[in-house]
Formats: sequence, C-alpha cells, structure tokens
Amino acid sequence: MRIGIPHLGNAYIMVRAMAARLGAVNGEGLVIPPPMTKKTLDLGVKYSPTEACLPYKLTLGSLIEACELGADTLIQARGTGICRLGYYAKGQEQMLHDLGYDAHFLTLDISHHKFLNMLRLIRSVANGNRARTPLHEIISAFFFGIGKVIALDKIEKVAQKIRAIELEKGAANLVYKEAVKAIDDVFDSKNVKRITKEYIGKLNKLPHNPKADPVKVAIVGEIYVVIEPFANMDIEMELGKLGVEVERTLTLSRWIKYSLFLNYLGISEWREVHKLAEPYLDHDVGGDGWESVGEKVLCARKGYDGVIHLAPFTCMPEIVAQNIMASTKEDIPVLAVACDEQMGREGMLTRVEAFVDLLEFRRRKRDGRKVFSVG
Amino acid sequence: MAKVGIPRALLYYLYYPAWKAFFEKLGAEVVVSSPTNKTILNSGVSRAVADTCLPVKIFFGHVMSMIGECDYIFAPAVTSLGNEAYNCSKIIGLPNMTRALIPECPIILDPEINLEKGRYHFYQSIYKLGRYFTHNPFRIKKAVEEAWENNLAYQSVMFDEGLTPVEAIDRMYQGKQQPDSSVASAPSLTIAVIGHPYVIYDEYLSHRLIHRLQSMGVKILTPEMAPEKALYDAARKLVGIPHWSFETDIIGAGEYYLEKKVDGVINLSVFGCGPDSMMVTFVQHRARELNAPFLHLSLDEHTSDGGLLTRLEAFLDMIKWRERICV
Ligand code: SF4
Repeated sequence: MRIGIPHLGNAYIMVRAMAARLGAVNGEGLVIPPPMTKKTLDLGVKYSPTEACLPYKLTLGSLIEACELGADTLIQARGTGICRLGYYAKGQEQMLHDLGYDAHFLTLDISHHKFLNMLRLIRSVANGNRARTPLHEIISAFFFGIGKVIALDKIEKVAQKIRAIELEKGAANLVYKEAVKAIDDVFDSKNVKRITKEYIGKLNKLPHNPKADPVKVAIVGEIYVVIEPFANMDIEMELGKLGVEVERTLTLSRWIKYSLFLNYLGISEWREVHKLAEPYLDHDVGGDGWESVGEKVLCARKGYDGVIHLAPFTCMPEIVAQNIMASTKEDIPVLAVACDEQMGREGMLTRVEAFVDLLEFRRRKRDGRKVFSVG
Repeated sequence: MAKVGIPRALLYYLYYPAWKAFFEKLGAEVVVSSPTNKTILNSGVSRAVADTCLPVKIFFGHVMSMIGECDYIFAPAVTSLGNEAYNCSKIIGLPNMTRALIPECPIILDPEINLEKGRYHFYQSIYKLGRYFTHNPFRIKKAVEEAWENNLAYQSVMFDEGLTPVEAIDRMYQGKQQPDSSVASAPSLTIAVIGHPYVIYDEYLSHRLIHRLQSMGVKILTPEMAPEKALYDAARKLVGIPHWSFETDIIGAGEYYLEKKVDGVINLSVFGCGPDSMMVTFVQHRARELNAPFLHLSLDEHTSDGGLLTRLEAFLDMIKWRERICV
C-alpha cells in the first residue's frame, strides 16, 4: 500500500511525520506529490468538470501527480452537507479510474466524529503497512504530526508580522522557508521545539523597523484557498511586500485544535464570530460562509484596516457571504478575490495594490493627516 | 387583509400550492409576481454580486418587482428536508441575502425549515410564521394540514397526468385544460429534461426549451413525472447516499430515465451552479457508459435564443441519425 495525499498548505509535513513514526517513509509507504505548480493546475483543470471549484481541481491535480509516482491509496476529505466537498472523493475516484489509475480512496469525514475518524484513518493506514500497530503508537504518531503543524503555524505568525516591517524585503520569507524545511527534517519532539525557538528568534532578529505601524489586513474566506498559498497566488507574501501586516484566523493548527479536540467539549472557536454575524446571517450556510460574515464584523471591531475575502470562484457559501457582507453596517473595506484557474497574477496584484492604497488613504484621513501628499 | 407576496422563482415551482393554501387558510391574501421578464432579470442582476447564479438573481428581481404590492415577502430558508441531505447554500441563505441586498423590501417571512434539527424545531418555525397572522395554534395547525393536502394533490396531478409544475398549477387554479398533444401527432422522440425546476420551467430563463422541444414533436419527461422513491434509489445507485436534496431528483431522474432507455437526456443548468457542476458529471459519465445521447446546456445572461436552438436541433438530428443507423 502506498498512500498518496493532495496538498493543502503544510499538511504534508504532518502526514510525513506521522507516517515516519509508523514506519512508512517517503517513496515506500507514502507518496507526497511534488509541490503544486502550473502543471498540477493544468492537470486538475483538464480532468475536472469545467465548473468545479478550484480546490477540487487542485486536489485532483495533486492526486494525479501522486498516482504518477505510484500511490495507490489516496486520502481525501469528505463532509456531509452543503458544499461540494461531499462529492470530491467520488468524482475524483471516477476520474482517476477513467485515467487508468487503480487507486482507491480513504476518506476522512470532517463533519462528524472528526477525532475518531482521524484515528481510524491513521490506523487503517498503519495497519496497511505493518500488521496491527498498537494504539499507543498510533496516538503518539498522531500527536507528533500535530506538534509539527502547531510549530509551523507559530513561526508563520511571527513571519507575518516581520514581513510587513522588515527592511530588506523577502528576508522573512527566506527564513520561514528554511524553518519549514528544518521542521520537516527532524523526527523527535525535542528538536521540533528547539527549531521553533531558533527560527522565531531568527525572524525577530531580522533588521526591521519596530516603530512602523503597518496597515493591518485580515484574510478570511474559504479554508482551502486561504491556507494553500498556491491557490491564492501567495497573496500573503505579496501583501507583505507592500508593507501590510496580515492576520488570518484560519490555520491548520487551529482547525485541528478545535475540530479534533475542543469541539468535543462543547467549545466552539466560532461562537463569538457567529454571534457577531447574527444580525445579518443567523444560521450555517455550509463551508465557511457564516464565519466569513462574522469575521468581517469582528475585524471592524478590532480595528483592522481592511479585510480580504478569498473564495473559490462560484463557491456557494462564500457567495452568500459576499452578498451579505457588502451591506453590513460595519465600516471596513472588503476586497473579494475569486480564485480560479483564470485568475492572473498581474490582475490580482493590481487589485491588491489599489486596495492597499485605499486603506492607506483611509488611515491618513482618519488620523487627520494630509490626505494628498505631494511628490 | 394582509398580503403575502410569493416570488415566482426558486422553490415556488416546488411548493406554491402548499404555501398558498397555508397563507390563505390563515386569512391572508396571496399574490404572486409576474413571470420572469427582462426587467425582473435586470433588476436582480443589478443588486447581487456578479458570481451569483442566475436563478438567485432572478429571485431578487421578483422580490423587487413586488415592492409596494404586498405587506410581506415569503422567502423561507429551506435548509434540509431530512435524510441528512441539505440544500444549496444559496437556498439556505436566501432570506438573509434578500434582506442585505434589498433593504427597501417589505417584511420578509423567513422561517428556517431544517428537518435535521428535529420535528420540534420545524413546528416552532411554522408556529412562529403563523403568528404573523393569528395567535390561535389550532388555526395554524389546520393551515399546515391544508398545505400538506394541497402539496399531495399537486404532486399527484403532476405525476398521474404527466404535467409540468407550471401546467399543474394552471390546472389547479385556473381549470385550464392542457391541449392534448399526443392526439395531434404522435411524438417521434422521448427526451428527459433534467435540471432544477426553477430553471427548466422558468420560460424566460430556459428560453422556452420545453415548448420548443414539444413543438418539434418531442415527448418530454421531467423529474416530477417519476416516482420519488425511484428517483432516490436511482440517485443512490449513482453516487451513494445523496447529500443534496434537489440534486437527488435531478441525477436520480437522469439515471432513472437512462435506464428506461429514453432517446436522450438533456441537462439544463445555469452557469455557476455549484451542485450541478458536480452532480451532472455523474450522469454524463453514466450516459457515456450506456452510450446514450446526452446534452449539457449551461445558461447565463448572455445565452441567445439562436445559439440554444442550434444546439438543440443538432442534438435531435444526432439522435435521429443514430436511430436510423440502428434499424
Ligand atoms: S442549486 Fe445551483 S442554481 Fe440553485 S441556488 Fe444553488 S447554485 Fe444556484
């Protein structure tokens, strides 16, 4: 059995870590497809229904690349309910068979009993490689994998701050990339901790302007295109280059923390956000639509300068959100970006730059500074 | 008397008789917006964000066309009718979007119908809705019963007599008899048209597709003309337990009619419809397996009569040509 996974942000690092603990190494029990490129996108677009959404196309492309490298058991998320995710695995499996790959899917149900499902999935994977793995080994592998994701998100948070105010543009990105590699390369928790500390230190030591007060933007929207930089054309880094501080609530580690653990205790990460959305939308509409509306309100209250709303083109829940967000009374500019294969980098950059200009203009106006600078 | 406006869009085609009975039993007057036209479409398009699908834009247009003509607008959030199947997000968020986009709209009656939340929740939403008109719970209960009966009657008119929703509604409320087309000329082809009722029966949106086919001598079968249970079973066969309730009917009908060996299947959907973009592929795949003619038409604001007609004619010619070869 050779497991293949589609890319989603740093999730592959978590999977690799778990697999290594359970005795599967890259190339043997596990196939991590190459980082997503234009080729991945082209494959996905070619073999998906024309009007499928971008996450569908990208994960399909990524899975095809995994199959090319010999994966035969593919992992894909599944949800019951409102958005297209419910049919990803079904549609992709059919397509892969038509293409002649004899791959079967293990789906991870992310709507109910997520924790158990996750454990079950890991166990079936582990048992496929080595008969009867004891439960404690599975659990320890599981936590080890999660630990890496948490570490990475911590480092990224710092990078997001430094990126906006660094003196030498691009330095923080380089350090962050190194950190990702370093974390991926170690296989015990002690080292993960050490590396995290080390790289956070490195980031903070980068030459930057501590007195700068950069424009602050929150990124909200559909989870896949928010988390996967390839899907949003690295919008965070682009914003960083423009001197904008980015924050986003949606991260892998947060999803894991709440969905797999705290939700079981009745703690919802979204309670506050849902409450804030209530005057405009008082029930779930699937995907992340409800949250997007609430987050806009929250960002306005927290005093952010603007919100960037990322959604796959034609994503139903996010269209509901967009239609509603435009008219909420909170006064905060929102830039909606629809991600699909037709989105060009240039076009996206122009829009983002114009948006950032607008935010800076509003700031100057708010602070009573001269609105038009000369020269 | 309080006037309740029902937009002639989206779920109107599925539940109008039930809704009408409900509100009338509670002593309200029901008004329906006029059939979709250019003005309605344009006013809807002017409000919604561009990526919104056409039927939802049209819904907004209908709401706007009724401003000033009624005291309430009925726009329920029909989340789920049970079986762990849900509706499309846009149906679920409909009242909220309407409120956000059309602030000048009359009071919106927006019960949330979500049978996944249990019977009690359902009763409560209906009761809350009824309270706009009466405080007597028994009257509300009566109205619900009346609605249910009308719904059954409506379904059986469609099913027993092979009528489309529009024809069935005409029959029920205007006593209009349908011209019996089968006598005039025996249809040469039988074609299943699958798609959302608010797409295939909205004459403006669908460019009168059904009539056009009928006048070309084609007998039309639609999802409403098949037994519900059979549709569910067929859909299960195709995709396993279905997650979207309306899609169940659409792809169920696809599978059901394919198995019945109709001469061809036409899927009429709209650009940007999320559920269709996934589900229709399964029917298409199946049609390919069975080597059956399948045509996928995707409508948008810019679809022209001419273009649509050309594709229809080509499709029919292809079917006829195939049949000639076979005999
Ligand atoms: S099911 Fe399709 S056509 Fe209907 S509201 Fe949803 S996206 Fe629009």
